[in-house]
Amino acid sequence: MTTDVSLSPALPGVARSRTRRRAQSASRLNTAAGHAVMVLLSIFCLFPVYWMIISSLRPANAIFETSLWPTAASLENYAYALNAIPIGAMLVNTLVVSVLVTVAQLFTGLLAAYAFARWRFPFDKLIYTMIALTWLVPFQVVMIPNYLLVANLGLLDSLAALILPHFAGALAVLLLAQAMRSFPAEVIEAARMDGAKSWRVLWEVITPNLRGTIASLAILIFISTWNEYFWPLLLSRTPENSVIQIGIQMFMTSEGTAWGPLMAASTLASLPILAIYIVLQQQVIQSFMKSGIR
Amino acid sequence: MTAIPLDRPAKVAPKRAASPWRIAPWLYLTPAAATLVLWIYWPLLDALRLSFYEWNMLPDSPMTFVGWQNYVNIFALPKFWQALRNTVTYVIGLLPLAVLIPLAIAIYTHDLPARSRNIYRAIIFVPMIIAPVVAAAVWRWLLDPGHGMINETIGLFGFRPVRFLQDPKIAIWTIIVLTGWKLIGFSTLILSAANANINPSLVEAARMDGASRWEIIRDIRLPLLRSTILFLSLMTILLGAQWSFSYIHVLTGGGPLGATTNIFYILWDFGFSTLSVGWSSAAAIILFLGFGALAFVLFRLMDRYSFHDN
Repeated sequence: MTTDVSLSPALPGVARSRTRRRAQSASRLNTAAGHAVMVLLSIFCLFPVYWMIISSLRPANAIFETSLWPTAASLENYAYALNAIPIGAMLVNTLVVSVLVTVAQLFTGLLAAYAFARWRFPFDKLIYTMIALTWLVPFQVVMIPNYLLVANLGLLDSLAALILPHFAGALAVLLLAQAMRSFPAEVIEAARMDGAKSWRVLWEVITPNLRGTIASLAILIFISTWNEYFWPLLLSRTPENSVIQIGIQMFMTSEGTAWGPLMAASTLASLPILAIYIVLQQQVIQSFMKSGIR
Repeated sequence: MTAIPLDRPAKVAPKRAASPWRIAPWLYLTPAAATLVLWIYWPLLDALRLSFYEWNMLPDSPMTFVGWQNYVNIFALPKFWQALRNTVTYVIGLLPLAVLIPLAIAIYTHDLPARSRNIYRAIIFVPMIIAPVVAAAVWRWLLDPGHGMINETIGLFGFRPVRFLQDPKIAIWTIIVLTGWKLIGFSTLILSAANANINPSLVEAARMDGASRWEIIRDIRLPLLRSTILFLSLMTILLGAQWSFSYIHVLTGGGPLGATTNIFYILWDFGFSTLSVGWSSAAAIILFLGFGALAFVLFRLMDRYSFHDN
């Protein structure tokens, strides 16, 4: 039966067009319903982000308005937020941390992945598994010892403490190792024949060819580092030395919430990520999907 | 060129097999391995050690060895059992949002034109990239009982405002839906991709045999999607409660009356609200062992029941 159907283009024209027509009208109905479902879902997903941006533009006397479009737009929430906390410094800190973490994880990931892909050595499978398993250790389980370690190193309230624990990541190692394993062995062999040492093979032969994987990994690491909240929250003492996600939390106090400035700070914290997403949408989606959940 | 491999066959082979203690791979491995040992495996052992002590994290205060006392205390604590029950509620509540609804959407929208499907894909993925704390802040604003947009809308229809985060019965479900908000897009994409990979000739063949739409879903699509469905369920069971952590932290602080607390949150609470290192570490070890055992069982089951498409 299956073989019959895979030859379906060869079926007599009449029978074919009849089944086609039936399939077409069914799929048109299906399409309309599908659109309805997806539009509702899209509103559910996008509305909070829209509302955040719109609310951030409402002047203080209009913050409780519920019109879908601000009747009077102003940037006064942004001015207030920028005065209340050092948002500029926080954004720069976040950018520095995110870029350094991304570079570090790619670097250490490439090195480790290369070791796994190129050599067999004692315990290689075990070590690989141990790296994969780190992904199952919840942050909350190791947070106190990590906090104490940072405190002992005298690194509380420093950007270094935000970077060091993320100097390497399981995801980078695993994804890159996977990519390298499917890299054609002949190319590596050829480079070796030409006398290239392992270090040069890695950086001049393999890395340039893994551009796609590296780029999507970079997007992923950058976004998740930018969005990180709890580790900085544990360590931050002064706003000047902290990251933007901590700034957001400063507008939510037990005495009450400054909604306008809070939405302004949230918008500022999201803009870089949203901008990356709008420009590189397909790649961002791909990179998340490739990696499983993060 | 062809002559060269003949020249050095002896050199090609040992590269992989011989000289087991060659140093190069270890050098390449060191930066990543050292980082993970220092920041994950060593802390794990340290948490185990600290779980036997009573200490308040201040450098000059005494650390008292109390043996198993922390564990005994935690198991005797009603709050712990409440958190455990809530953790189960989180996982069960998240499963439909992270698996069932995305599955229905993925199958239902399968036949949409590529162009509109891509636009929808892009939109439903936005929550995934928004920072958890930003999402929590925005939802706090939307759900505010006094002036929040959602309660204003409910008010328009003449209903009383819903205290989404203040009512102990509703709060946990609010947090579950917010956690799901961030996940639906991701799960839908994964399932859509798996669904699109199903060989169309299988579906076509069934259609020729007169199978109804539902029969095609039941007999072809669902069995072929089984491994993806299992994967997403497994992730939700293992990590679901953890994903809700930011929302609990920012929106309810575990309250009202512990109604939204979960096992991850009480670790945080013990550690950094009451500064009880021993309790927090003991709870961390219980959690790690518990989830470790769960993960082991689930991975075993997944291996047995997932469908291997050749």
